[in-house]
Amino acid sequence: MKRLGIFALITVAILMVGYAQAQEKRDFFKVGVVTSLSGELAFGGTVTKRGYDMWEDAVNAAGGIDIAGKKYKVKLVYADDQSTPATAAVGTERLITQEKVDFILGPYASGPTLALAPICEKYKMPHITGSAESPLIWVKKFKYTFGTIPPVNLGPRSAIQTLAQDVTPKPQSIAILGIDDAFSKFSAEAMKAAAEKAGLKVLKYEIVPEGSDYTPSVTAIKSLKPDIFAMGNHEKAAIEMIKIAKELKFNPKAYVQHYGMSTPDFRKGLGKDMEYVYGISYWTENMKIQSSGLFKNPKEYADAIRKKFNVDPDYTEAGCTGAGLAFQEAVRAIKAAPPLTDAQKDALIGALEKLDIVTFYGRIKFATEGDFYHSNAGLESVTLQYQGGKLVEVGPPKTRVAAPKYPAPTWDKR
Amino acid sequence: MELFLQTIIDGLLIGGLIIIVGIGFSLCFGTMHIVDFAVGEWVMLGAYAGYLMVRTFGHDPMIYLPVIFVIFFAVGWLVYPLIFRAVSGKRHNPVIMGLVFTFGLSIIAKGGALSVWGYHIQSITTWLSGKSISIGLVTVPALRFSGFLFGLVVTLLFMAFLYKTKFGIIIRATAQDRDTANLLGTDVRKVGAFVYSLYAGVTGMSGVLIGALFSIHAAMGAKYSILAFFVVVLAGMGYVPGVLVAAIVLGLLQSFVTVYIGGRYTLAALFLVMYGVLLITPKGILRRGI
Repeated sequence: MKRLGIFALITVAILMVGYAQAQEKRDFFKVGVVTSLSGELAFGGTVTKRGYDMWEDAVNAAGGIDIAGKKYKVKLVYADDQSTPATAAVGTERLITQEKVDFILGPYASGPTLALAPICEKYKMPHITGSAESPLIWVKKFKYTFGTIPPVNLGPRSAIQTLAQDVTPKPQSIAILGIDDAFSKFSAEAMKAAAEKAGLKVLKYEIVPEGSDYTPSVTAIKSLKPDIFAMGNHEKAAIEMIKIAKELKFNPKAYVQHYGMSTPDFRKGLGKDMEYVYGISYWTENMKIQSSGLFKNPKEYADAIRKKFNVDPDYTEAGCTGAGLAFQEAVRAIKAAPPLTDAQKDALIGALEKLDIVTFYGRIKFATEGDFYHSNAGLESVTLQYQGGKLVEVGPPKTRVAAPKYPAPTWDKR
Repeated sequence: MELFLQTIIDGLLIGGLIIIVGIGFSLCFGTMHIVDFAVGEWVMLGAYAGYLMVRTFGHDPMIYLPVIFVIFFAVGWLVYPLIFRAVSGKRHNPVIMGLVFTFGLSIIAKGGALSVWGYHIQSITTWLSGKSISIGLVTVPALRFSGFLFGLVVTLLFMAFLYKTKFGIIIRATAQDRDTANLLGTDVRKVGAFVYSLYAGVTGMSGVLIGALFSIHAAMGAKYSILAFFVVVLAGMGYVPGVLVAAIVLGLLQSFVTVYIGGRYTLAALFLVMYGVLLITPKGILRRGI
């Protein structure tokens, strides 16, 4: 009798699940977001969250996504990857199998993204990351993964080019210190490649583990007296390396850093010592871009972010909002109402590959071949420098707002 | 030559930072046999305490060091009964119980800090920040040097206290044989609470120095927990004076490996040395641990 009871319960449960699945009917897009809301990368994770939330807010304020004359709102469902790749994979699987999301917006960092992408392949789930920049993602040629920020190998080169071409006296040498993670070491590698191409002598190129005391590394670099000290890392290590450089009275003529120099924490952490530091961005609020979609120009977007979150936006927020816009346009192009079927998700990939739009964030056009497969080929980086407490565009010449200040004065003369 | 001398200075000063984190931890383990997994979180909380005081009252964070010692001493006093409960009674393996309990504390502290203060990376500046003294060919960063001096003074004070005062003798007696000390009229619980509070106070203070040198965030403690474990293994479990030697050895090792071999091999070198010490001389490099 007892066995029969259990059997009956299981049968009812299976039927209920089947019924629930059959009943899956929504009049809104359910969008999964996997990003770092806790752990080491929580800072960056929150930056991505601001960008994704901004898109959700803006699209819903406009009534939703217009699919063949009817508007469907958007609802984001978050999964915290806790800054670890394994949790990103588990979170993605949950969003796909239990939450049954229509598509996924990806994590802040490249490590979790590399764990998430294979899960999206397995379930044929479209995914755009609005932040991850590691080239490792694109060489794997994941069919279902796209990214709005160009790969990091293409980023820092504009800063090196600006220094190699637009300042006098021309710097002769560079030393590069990178952190050993999926993003930072490629940032450092890109700096090295750009420096070699520009004819700079690379005196040292070193990758060190995250969290170590960088003093001996900076000491070793100081002894070589490079003209440029370049750092491939995130904001925390960047703050610490510049603090150490000052303590050791290390006076290169230029500091280059990617990524993090444009974040508020970098400014707060270093105060006046941030002056003269170079970095890069794919987007700034001063850019002259006109868009017909949500947010007419970068300034309008920046004001919206400031109003909602009380912070100045960085290109990561813009890239994440851009990821939402890319999905929005692609889903509109295929006229697919929620919930998306497997065939519609496949059609969405085709639409994303054909997409070529100009948003407030700039052009979004995903590469469809080569080593940067499905990354955004529509953007070029600009060189930034802190001058008088403000970040200004100093290169390339067509986007320049002010001339680069070079050489940086020594620490005792600041 | 310049590089060689600077590498030595860097190593000594890194060692100084390791001393200030490891000294209280070693005292706590040596006398109370408590392996506090939350050592890094005391550092983190100390750093945040310094940050909050500067933000609220202004002034230089260094002047708050005594206040932070008192606060953390009091917190340690309140926390100790919980740890005592976890490691005493009819437990089969009190050391493991203590480890698990403090591991839990570290997670709560880390999660709590993230919830309360958020994910932003904070910084504090002291009048010594960014300053340095040039002596001949080398540059000595002032803040790191003050950390080194702080570690040295605290170690000497701890040693004087343990070996020259009556209460120090009581602590050592309790460490040697808790039951006999209890039979002789020592309030073992109070002794334990005092030592734990002392450790919490000193480690909290070290957090302010570390926070000023690097940056402050909820996850900053993990690295210092690892360093504290390294130094205690190398110093010999519970041998307080050994911390001084072990920390300097670790600092120099880190500095020389980074400069002359490569930064990516530093952690590997540290682990290799630790395994070597555990295999060859498990009582630490001075063979005085337990």
